[in-house]
Amino acid sequence: MNCEKNKKIILKLVDGTISDEQLNELKTHTETCESCRVEFERCVLLQDIVKHSLSSQTAAEQAGAAQVARLSEGPNLRMRPVRYGTALFAGRRAAIAAGILLAIGLFLGFTMGRVGNPGQIHLTAKVPISAGKIEGIVLVRHEGSDIWQPLDAGSNIYLGDMFHSTARSACVLKLDDESTLDLNQNSTLILKSYACPEPGRRNGQTQFFLEHGECTASLESHHGPFFINTPNGRMEALGTEFTVKVTDE
Amino acid sequence: MPESPVMATDADEQLVKSTLRGNVASFGTIVERYWNMVVALALSKVSDPAEAEDIAQESFLKAYSQLSGLRDPSRLAGWLSKITMQQCSNSLRKTVRYKKALGCRTAPIETLDEQPAMAANPGLTQNQIQFVRQTIRRLPEKFRTMIIMRFVANCSTVQIAEQLGKRPGTVRVGLHRAYKLLHKDLAPLLEEVEQL
Repeated sequence: MNCEKNKKIILKLVDGTISDEQLNELKTHTETCESCRVEFERCVLLQDIVKHSLSSQTAAEQAGAAQVARLSEGPNLRMRPVRYGTALFAGRRAAIAAGILLAIGLFLGFTMGRVGNPGQIHLTAKVPISAGKIEGIVLVRHEGSDIWQPLDAGSNIYLGDMFHSTARSACVLKLDDESTLDLNQNSTLILKSYACPEPGRRNGQTQFFLEHGECTASLESHHGPFFINTPNGRMEALGTEFTVKVTDE
Repeated sequence: MPESPVMATDADEQLVKSTLRGNVASFGTIVERYWNMVVALALSKVSDPAEAEDIAQESFLKAYSQLSGLRDPSRLAGWLSKITMQQCSNSLRKTVRYKKALGCRTAPIETLDEQPAMAANPGLTQNQIQFVRQTIRRLPEKFRTMIIMRFVANCSTVQIAEQLGKRPGTVRVGLHRAYKLLHKDLAPLLEEVEQL
């Protein structure tokens, strides 16, 4: 065995991969080679020195017993509950992530809703109907909203609006320059659809739903198909003026 | 200390499972097995042996409380070494803070007595032991852990690699480099001890 190979075997002694056969060969070689013997002895000595310099003043058995006693007596020392696998851990993290995403989604949805549809008014289209003369208190509620607002003269009207006239109240809805719809007291009316009165742009039909009460329509001939629906039936305007009444009887 | 890699790994897993079932005595066996390694790791970071033992105790208590979080019980030693290093850092931070607050300074090595250190190590004086510890402390932390696991815990390269989650080749190279650094720095001390 040459000295160069011996140095490699000494390194194997350091990393603990030396075999018994190699160790024996090394020991045999050191009996005849002074430099290798010194190197080998220093390697062993260095390991001993490191081990002893970092040794504990308390015996391991004593330390173990002390820890057991401390753990048995100490009521504050509790083991954390066992985690039931990585799946649950990952599931919890996924749930947290989903919660965060949901919160962000809700926030964005709310914000965009507020920006895009203030008061839910623009959910339906504005129609060229306006409120005319109003007596007493007439309320209007836009579609998709739960808020009743007082109807003012000249207010804009939207598709889906619900009108409610209280006792001793009435209002006039101006359908165009010459056509009107009068809503009498204690009545509820909903604008379902609207047809443009101009002959060139006429499309569809105008429909109201009289839920309760009484209304009178005065229409000009160029107005398109005009219907008033009630819980009991549907009326189409053929003449220029007619009255529809819905009562409990 | 583990006698055989396979036996030690199996025993570690069994001891961890037993401890998790509420058997405190099993944890006592874990402490016995790794006490010297943990104290050595602490001594490689702090100079006071009593403080190192305190750190070791606290590390084991922390390990006990967090044992359910140990994903791979076969890597118990590596996990303990990480906890110990963390505890050492915490302790050093506290010590620095207290010393700053009190205006204290560490006692220099020269003031230590020249009496022989321990019965287990009659050949080295306290000064020489301090010198060895300081030399080890100067090693990079990754080498320090490897050297302690190899020389103190008597783990093989493969075992160290498993415990630290590294490749055996990386550990082998690290051990060789650490050995060469220690050999160079401790050469005067080795000569001195050899002459005795």
